[in-house]
Amino acid sequence: MKQLLEGSQAVAEAVRLCRPQVVAAYPITPQTHIIEHLAQQVANGELAAEFINAESEFGAASIVLGAVAGGARAFTATASQGLLLMTEVLYNIAGLRLPVVMVCANRAVGAPINIFSDHQDSMALRDAGWIQLYVESNQEAVDTLIQAYRIAEACELPVMVCMDGFFLTHTFESVDLPTQAAVDDFLPPFHFVRTLDPADPMTLGGGSEADNYQEYRSAQQAAVEDAQPVIEAFDAEFDDRFGRAHGGLLQAYRLDGAETALLGMGSLMGAVRDVVDKLRDRGQAVGALRLRCFRPFPAQALVRYLSGVQRIIVLEKAISIGAGGILASELRAALHQAGMMTPVESVIGGLGGRDLTPQVIESVFHETSRDEMGATFRFAPDHVMPDETDHG
Amino acid sequence: MTPKLDIEPGSSTAYHTGDWRTRQPVYRNKWPPCSQTCPASEDIQAWLALATEQHWQAAWQKLTERNPFPATMGRICYHACESACNRKHLDSAVNIHAMERYLGDRAITRKWSHKPVCDTPQTQRVAIVGAGPAGLSCAFQLARHGYPVTIFDAQAVPGGTLYSAIPDYRLPKSVLASEIDAILALGIELRLNSRVGKEISESDLRDQFDAVFLAIGSQRPRQYPGKESSRHRVMSGLEFLHRLNRGEQIALLSERKPKHVAVVGGGNTAIDVARCIRRLGAEVTVICAQDSHGNHHRELGTEMPASLQEVIEAETEGVQFIYRAGIRRLVRSGEHLSGIEIAHVDQVYDRHGDFNPVLFDGTEEFVPAGLAIFAIGQETDWQGLEQLSQSTQADGVWLGGDAVSKSKLAATAVGSGYQAAMSIMADLKGEPFVFDTHKKAQITFRQMSLHYYPKQSRHEGEVSEQRLDGFNEVETGLLDDDATHEARRCLSCGVCFMCDNCWHFCPDAAVIKKAGGYGIDDDYCKGCGICAQECPCGHIDMERLTG
Amino acid sequence: MDKRDPFRHNVLTSGHRACSGCGEAMAARMVTDLIGPDAIYINATGCLQVFTTHNQQSAWQAPWIHSVFANAAAVASGVEAALRAKGKDTPVVVQAGDGGTFDIGLQCLSGMIERGHDVLFVCYDNEAYMNTGVQRSSSTPHAVRTTTSPPGRLSQGKHHLKKDVISIIAAHHMPYAATATIAYFPDLKAKVEKAMRIKGPRFLQILSPCPLGWVHDSALSVTVSRLAVETGLFPLIELEHGELTGVMRLAEQKPVEEYLRPQGRFKHLFGSKAGAVELRHLQALADARIRRYGLLDADTQWDTACAMQSVRHGRGGYASSMPTSEAVKNDT
Repeated sequence: MKQLLEGSQAVAEAVRLCRPQVVAAYPITPQTHIIEHLAQQVANGELAAEFINAESEFGAASIVLGAVAGGARAFTATASQGLLLMTEVLYNIAGLRLPVVMVCANRAVGAPINIFSDHQDSMALRDAGWIQLYVESNQEAVDTLIQAYRIAEACELPVMVCMDGFFLTHTFESVDLPTQAAVDDFLPPFHFVRTLDPADPMTLGGGSEADNYQEYRSAQQAAVEDAQPVIEAFDAEFDDRFGRAHGGLLQAYRLDGAETALLGMGSLMGAVRDVVDKLRDRGQAVGALRLRCFRPFPAQALVRYLSGVQRIIVLEKAISIGAGGILASELRAALHQAGMMTPVESVIGGLGGRDLTPQVIESVFHETSRDEMGATFRFAPDHVMPDETDHG
Repeated sequence: MTPKLDIEPGSSTAYHTGDWRTRQPVYRNKWPPCSQTCPASEDIQAWLALATEQHWQAAWQKLTERNPFPATMGRICYHACESACNRKHLDSAVNIHAMERYLGDRAITRKWSHKPVCDTPQTQRVAIVGAGPAGLSCAFQLARHGYPVTIFDAQAVPGGTLYSAIPDYRLPKSVLASEIDAILALGIELRLNSRVGKEISESDLRDQFDAVFLAIGSQRPRQYPGKESSRHRVMSGLEFLHRLNRGEQIALLSERKPKHVAVVGGGNTAIDVARCIRRLGAEVTVICAQDSHGNHHRELGTEMPASLQEVIEAETEGVQFIYRAGIRRLVRSGEHLSGIEIAHVDQVYDRHGDFNPVLFDGTEEFVPAGLAIFAIGQETDWQGLEQLSQSTQADGVWLGGDAVSKSKLAATAVGSGYQAAMSIMADLKGEPFVFDTHKKAQITFRQMSLHYYPKQSRHEGEVSEQRLDGFNEVETGLLDDDATHEARRCLSCGVCFMCDNCWHFCPDAAVIKKAGGYGIDDDYCKGCGICAQECPCGHIDMERLTG
Repeated sequence: MDKRDPFRHNVLTSGHRACSGCGEAMAARMVTDLIGPDAIYINATGCLQVFTTHNQQSAWQAPWIHSVFANAAAVASGVEAALRAKGKDTPVVVQAGDGGTFDIGLQCLSGMIERGHDVLFVCYDNEAYMNTGVQRSSSTPHAVRTTTSPPGRLSQGKHHLKKDVISIIAAHHMPYAATATIAYFPDLKAKVEKAMRIKGPRFLQILSPCPLGWVHDSALSVTVSRLAVETGLFPLIELEHGELTGVMRLAEQKPVEEYLRPQGRFKHLFGSKAGAVELRHLQALADARIRRYGLLDADTQWDTACAMQSVRHGRGGYASSMPTSEAVKNDT
């Protein structure tokens, strides 16, 4: 049934449908509406969960860690500084291989303090051992959240659903919420093999040394890597049951015959598709590729999709200060490994909530690559008037 | 191999931390100081432990393994055990003598009998000369082990000095008689009025018996060495007590009853005599060459040999004491004794350690006395035993008791009798005999953790208010509850009482509790020493590991 | 599972790698065995976690989890919430050191208490960061030598006071907060058992000497912790809903020097004028705590003498004729 819902509320409804038993959170803009809705659902008796108001994001992450280890399905959400404050615990959750699901309402990281959207926060956690799925729309947020629990519990891995703050969380869109029965069919009841229980006592989180630490890490790496087909399979199964799919690992748009590909993540891809349409209309062989799954990094799939293009422009809303574009760097490595020398232009933009407008995206397409000048990336122009990009 | 995310409970036990240890705890029973000092070598702690559980008869049996006179000794022994008791460092010593008396009295009232150790009768016969504590103790041990024993005693009543030299207020005759009867009930033949050399010859003894134990005591009082020829109004302490115990109470002081009596001597006999005189209604002054207790001169001095408790009792009863005083002469007007001239004693013992007081001129004082009683020691009278007394164990003759020991304590005599019996039995069986002397105490309060014991007041018997009215016992025995209380006050020095401290405090769970005790799991003990440090009774030792 | 001891579960069993004489290992053994294996234990980072779990070996015989240093109380909140959601009432117990309680873990602990989670939080207080090599914590007492509060020409050890964490905890108006120490097992037992009968957040601060960091003989861990109480420096108290409801009276107040002397961490205070000032300061601190909690005149039978009393579980024995314990040992 389609409803006009704010992104945060849509996600909260999706969380409810997944029947978490413990929800813990600490308020931070732009995540607040999600947890407010959840708190209200619990208060109304619509969601039978323990709602724990944590004393910090660090606490919230720790509470869901404990809840999952205690045998309950759990949910939390945060953003920005909160995510970074969780960092230590998020690494720990991943190391303990606990199937926690959280939403990151992507937001810039201070200083200077800025409450608006970019991907700096979740990108900073890219090495933590979490699966990261970046969604483009509120519908995808709803669907991905439901899939996230299925993936997390099947793989014994934590999943972070990344949705752009404000652009998605505070935007009303028409969303088709699945029925409870359909979700119950898709998502089996929570069962975690390493639940803390006196009937089957075990020690979790014990000390390790050089003897076996690396083996723990290699096992974790393999598990995250092996999640790729699982993510694809559950997206496909979701499609069968609900009639919607979101591309599994990544989603191509008009890439057939394209000479140039525009690659990006999250909500900006709507504008990118508009730009592709406009440029195609003008005879430019342009396509787009949306990376939905950043971790595990689907290198082979990217290479497969991008093998036919001569130019790749990566648009990303985060920067590795001192190095440049993160996604672009990883893509270059993947292409290089595949023996391809396709130029990859790294464009960083949309930081701190700045709009990556179609005009800006189009101007990026028209700008010459500056690779010859030695730079590995460039910042997107700050603001471009419609007439400035109108080369047609 | 992929390491597991969940670790098996208790899997650390695969890691043996015992390798770290440089010293290790050892549970070891120690011999407590009470038992060390007991002249009869009683295992006091053991019978107190049984009394703790109110196993009264078992406690009595344990006690009488070494000493068949608990009711007697509980009354008259000067209980060195209590002076040694570690509990005095916490509050006050366990009332061991009262406990001993309690068990002895209980045995008498309930008519408990001694059980033989060995049911097989032996054929070799043993003669014992002297039915005092040493002779009876020896006879008791031999009889328990099945040997036919005959005791010869010159007196008409058995008991030796226990009968003749102890006043009734300390030891009622009936108590002694009951304990002797219980001993004799083991089948011992007692021949009274039988002096060796008169009623039976030395050679008869040698011919008729496989072994002879001489325990004739030291019955002859040492005489006042003064030059006076007159013995009028001068008496020895032993003579006084003998006559008193034979019932001559009135006669003693009836003839021109003296108001003041002087008793010369610093031993327990002197105190006995003085206390008796108080009961006969006269004033009494004890003249003692030594210092009072706890007050002795640093270079010269020695404490008076009498028991402190006895001195306190005597003072309570009005006995006067003059310390560091020696006798110059007896002051007479004609035959009549008017008093004693005393002088300050400087050095009490000479360089050979013999009693040889040096008196300072010009320090003389007069002590009025119508009767002078000298309690200055006693000697053994070997008359009639001239040959046997020169014999040795190789000849089948054993000597024991007061006759040969320096200490004249009844408990020492009991211990001596026990040793003789063990030696005789070993000899008769042709086995080597290891002289079971007093084991050295292995535990002091410093090795213990006294703070683990609650402070508890010492319970006593009741003291009669009419104590000077006659020769009735001054002190009553303990009540049942008091006896239990006192038994439980025993610290169990050096012997585990399963308080669980080692078990609780081991950081490594290396102390394993089992039925009846604890064990150290060497695989895990790191040798920290906490168990030994916190053991209340000092049962655990830390030993350095070698090799 | 290890089942060597027929009289005890050994929730924390042998083979752990604590230093010889470790007070924390002892305290944790006592507490966890009093609570038993039917509970879920959450451990903060620290000595206890390090020495009990090592390369695929665990000394725990109950469900146990360690996450990170600061978050034990929050993890416990989550575990407890999960159990509540599932309708289970398995006890949840946190174990942390003083760092994980007074310092880095205080925020999560405060949150846990404020939200009323049904969790027992046990702080094994050894008064410094021992696991990392004896650095000072906010629990380290005044004038103590640690590697980050070294005495020197200008210093007599730690400049600041030991944080009064029990007051901070009790100010949450929580059901039960108490201090205890390994030296008084009957007292510790009573407090653990009482805590386990109460619902809601509960807190126990257990003084647990560290022979390595306090620089005392490994055999003296119990002795030293007893002296901490007997001098008044570590009052044993109970607070219910913020109110003082119990103290252990001092049968006899001992001078602080008796406590300080056996410990190398106070050694620098002896023999100098500046040290003497700090010794007087420490005595004054003890006196002030005694006055504050009425440790000498409290109207209670529960005093340091009575809490020490050993119970006789056996008949005792005789040195002469009883089989020695060595014999008992040999028939294992």
